[in-house]
Parts: sequence; structure tokens; C-alpha cells
Amino acid sequence: MITIAWMTVREMVRRRFAIAALLGTLALVALTGWGLQHIHTIHKQHGVALSPLEVRAVTAALVPLIAYLFSFILAFAAIVLGATMLSAEIESGVLLPVLARPISHGAVVVGKALGLGALLCAYAAISGGLEFAVIDAVTGYQPPHPIAAIAALAALAIVMLCLTLAVASRLQTVATSIVAVVGFGVSWIVGIVASFGPVYHNETLLRIGVISQLLLPSDALWRVAVYQLQPVVLVAQFGLSGWPGPFFVLSPPPPAMLAWSVVWVVAVTAIAVRSFATRDV
Amino acid sequence: MALAKRYGTVTALSDLTLRVERGSIFGFLGANGAGKTTAVKMLLGLVRPTSGTAHVLGAPIGDRETRRRIGYLPELFRYPEWLSAREVLAFHASLLGTNAAQRTPDIARALTAVGLSERADDRVATYSKGMQQRLGLGVALLGNPALVVLDEPTSALDPLGRYDVRALLAGLRERGTTVFLNSHLLTEVELVCDRIAIVKSGRVISSGTREEILGEQRGLRIRARADGVSLHATLASFGDVTESNGAIVLRDVAHERTPEIVAALVTARARVYAVEPIVQTLEERFIELAGSP
Repeated sequence: MITIAWMTVREMVRRRFAIAALLGTLALVALTGWGLQHIHTIHKQHGVALSPLEVRAVTAALVPLIAYLFSFILAFAAIVLGATMLSAEIESGVLLPVLARPISHGAVVVGKALGLGALLCAYAAISGGLEFAVIDAVTGYQPPHPIAAIAALAALAIVMLCLTLAVASRLQTVATSIVAVVGFGVSWIVGIVASFGPVYHNETLLRIGVISQLLLPSDALWRVAVYQLQPVVLVAQFGLSGWPGPFFVLSPPPPAMLAWSVVWVVAVTAIAVRSFATRDV
Repeated sequence: MALAKRYGTVTALSDLTLRVERGSIFGFLGANGAGKTTAVKMLLGLVRPTSGTAHVLGAPIGDRETRRRIGYLPELFRYPEWLSAREVLAFHASLLGTNAAQRTPDIARALTAVGLSERADDRVATYSKGMQQRLGLGVALLGNPALVVLDEPTSALDPLGRYDVRALLAGLRERGTTVFLNSHLLTEVELVCDRIAIVKSGRVISSGTREEILGEQRGLRIRARADGVSLHATLASFGDVTESNGAIVLRDVAHERTPEIVAALVTARARVYAVEPIVQTLEERFIELAGSP
């Protein structure tokens, strides 16, 4: 299992996937820094520039959007890598001589999950840390709980990776990617629809949201991440004005949902292991 | 109990019964789609039988510890292109659990055996198809396996490479390694295998030594002439007589009767130029068995 995990990490590094991801992220961070710099050039009526406090307030409203961009990148990276490292390797025949060795098929799945999971977590930490550092340097704004937000985004990537591996244990690469992308998209959309529930006190919408998050906790983790990035003042302000929009969260999912996410990851990994172990290759 | 594998309504393998003697080279022959690769994968635990049981090296098929003693070259071989041959072998040695001290000489031995020592540190991406197949053979030879399963091991090799592989297989037999050779290259199988099984539509239709599969060779090709006498009438009592390319073909007659037949021809005042036994090749026998409806 460790051999497979280590080989997975080596592959990402040797095939320059990791360096490509880092270069892409550097470009993205530079671009957002350049964009945020322009907040200083915004003028109110009568040509008065924004005060530092106002710059930070505008930045606070934009940070969840940037976080969404990173959540999107992480989720898609998890899907592409998961599908490539399992489905595609079965299709190409790379895994055949490996599976004939004295290791269980489950160890291959868990090894790949560990290797890719470690890389995704490392990417979330590096890219998130870099982005928040640039935001701070350019605007002076620091979100309330950046580390917790990064951890939630990394967890979201792990959830998507586990889903992808479970699907990849049976389906081919393209089918796996489609199922995982649709799952991610549907979960997010349902999350948005359900966010009307508390505003209009609609129990059905609330229930749909919870069921969706139980089936695939990616949206719950996205909401945890966003909540950690929103200043209390902003939450209070949005709370008064009704529906906060798709990129803001008035109240985070309960701790029980976080616990469920952990259970979900373990259960879905177990399903992936079981499914792959009983598959003909 | 005979192995069977069905994918929905399609039967890939039915009623497969095989016995491979230890230390021998066993040839598994069949046309494309006959079920050879399915059978091989089943023996390695990569495909689960729909019904039936089998033992490999004394353990039920798929047994994890037994796989430590099995080397495998798949038909669709592909190795990580971003690694060198040495790194591919090191990865497999690690999967085998080979201890660190043994790993380096084991890898060097495998590289030498397949003629890749010179290019051992080049990336697999730079290898030709034939070199990749050689690497696959090297991977299969790692850890001194008791059984080597080779699925079409020379499909990408040139004649020289095929000769090398035959020598390699002979060397393995000398060391007491059992080789399960899955191939449709009949000459190759004929040259190296101790025993052969022919599979058709997922079922073994013939098995045994080459001689057993070919059966008793019956038939003679005779070149003889006689003035005013019909040799057909003389030879008709021995078997079916036909003519082909100016020679008399006598079918359904044991080779042991050759002196008797020559004596009959001489008695009939025939001038006998040549009497050749008709020997069926494995290819002809295979086409006869596998090609028949």
C-alpha cells in the first residue's frame, strides 16, 4: 500500500504534473493579486478613494469567490487524477502486472487514495496559503479562519477523490469523470437551492439540502470553508438582507455533518476497495 | 473442477480442465478469442471464475502468497513510461517484498537475462515495442519465480528476439521453473513446449505432447513409375490412393508398412524413386482442430 502511495506521488512529480499545477497556481495567485490591487483605485462619489477599512470590506466580499475558484480546481483535480490513476491504468494495462503481485486489489485503491490525497492536501495548503498571503499583502485583509477554510477545501477534494475512486473501480475513465463532475455540480446546485430554506422557513428545502449533503458532503464542506472566511460583520449584514447569494453562508453545517463527512470518506473508500477487489481486470 | 467464465450471455471459457507438470514448458494454443487470456488471468486471480476451482503451485487460484512465486507477462504489456527499466524492476521487487540486499543483484540478473543492461537507466518512453516486451519478461523473471506465465511473449519481437526468448525458456526449464506459455505462434510452441493444450471456444479440445496431439502419422507420398501397370490398383489394398503434383498419395496407412508397400511396388515391376512419409505439422493439426466447426 505504501509502495503504491509512494509511486503515485513520484508519478505526479516525475511527470511534471505537480510543477505544472504549481506554475498554474502561481499565475492564478498573481492574477488575483493584480485584480485585488485595483480595489485601491475604486473611487466613491466626488472622487474620494476607498478607506483601508472599505478596501478590506470589498476584499472580504470577494474572498469567497476566490475560494470557490480553488474549490473548483481542487475538486476537478481530484476527479481527473482519481479517474486517470485507476480507470485509465486498468484500460491501458499498466495495472495488470501490478495486480498479479502479492498485494490485495484493495491495497492498490487505498495506496492511490493516500498518495493522491496527500498531494491534494499539499496543493490546498500551498495554493491557499499563497493566495491568502497575497490578499493580505495587497489589501491588508486577513480572513477570520484561513487554516480551517483550507482544511475544509482539502477535505472537499478528498471527498471528490473517494467518490471518483469508487466509481473508477467499475467504470471507464470518461464515464467516471462524468459521474463525478455531475455529482459535484448537482451537490452544489442543490446546496444553493436549499440555502433559500432558512430565508423562507421552508422545511422541504432544508431537508433536501441535508439529504444532498448526506449523499455527497462536498457542498457541506464548501459551506464550512466559506463560513470560515466570512467576517462576523459580513454574516450579520447578509443575515439582515435575506438570501445571501451562492457564495455566502449564513450558518455553517452542524458539527454532526463534519463527523458524517469523515464516516462518508471511510465508507466510500471501503466501497471502492470492495468493488475493485471483486472486479475482473 | 472445470473452470468456466461467462460475461453475461457470452461464454469466454467453459469446462477448462488442465494439468501442468512442474518444471515443464506448457504451451496453451488457441485462435484469437478462444479464451486463452481469460484462462491465464483466471490462474492469476485477475478474473474470477463463474464456476469451478483450480490450484496453482498447490494453492487455490488467486492466493496472495502464491503470487509471490509467479512471474507474469501480460499480453497487453505496458509499463510506466516515466520510469527507467531499472526503476520498473525496483518497483516490482518492492511489491514482491524482496529484501534490500537481494534487490540490486536480482534486478541486474533480470536485466541481463532479457538483454536490457545497456539501456537499464533509460526511460521506458524511449524503448521500442520489442524492448518494452523484453522489460516485461524481465519483470516476470524477478524474484526467481517457480512459475512464469507468459501471454504472447514474443508478439513484438524480431526473429533474433524470439530466438533469445526460446533460449531463455530453455534456461528456465533447466532451473526447474514451470513455464505457462500462451501463444498462437505455433512454431514457437512446437520448438519449446513439452506439453501443449489447444483451446477452442473456451474449451480444451486436445492436449498432450506434440506427438500425442499430432497422433499417429498416417500416409505416404510415393514417386514411382511402371510400364503398362496401374500402380493405383497395386496400392489400393494399403489405403486411399490419390495423385498430387505427379506423386501418388497413399492416405490412411501406417508408416510401419513402408517396406511392405515398397516390396509390392517392386513386385509390380515399378521403378521406385522416392517414398516419403507424410508428416503433419502442428500448424496443420491446429488448423484441422481449431478451424473445424
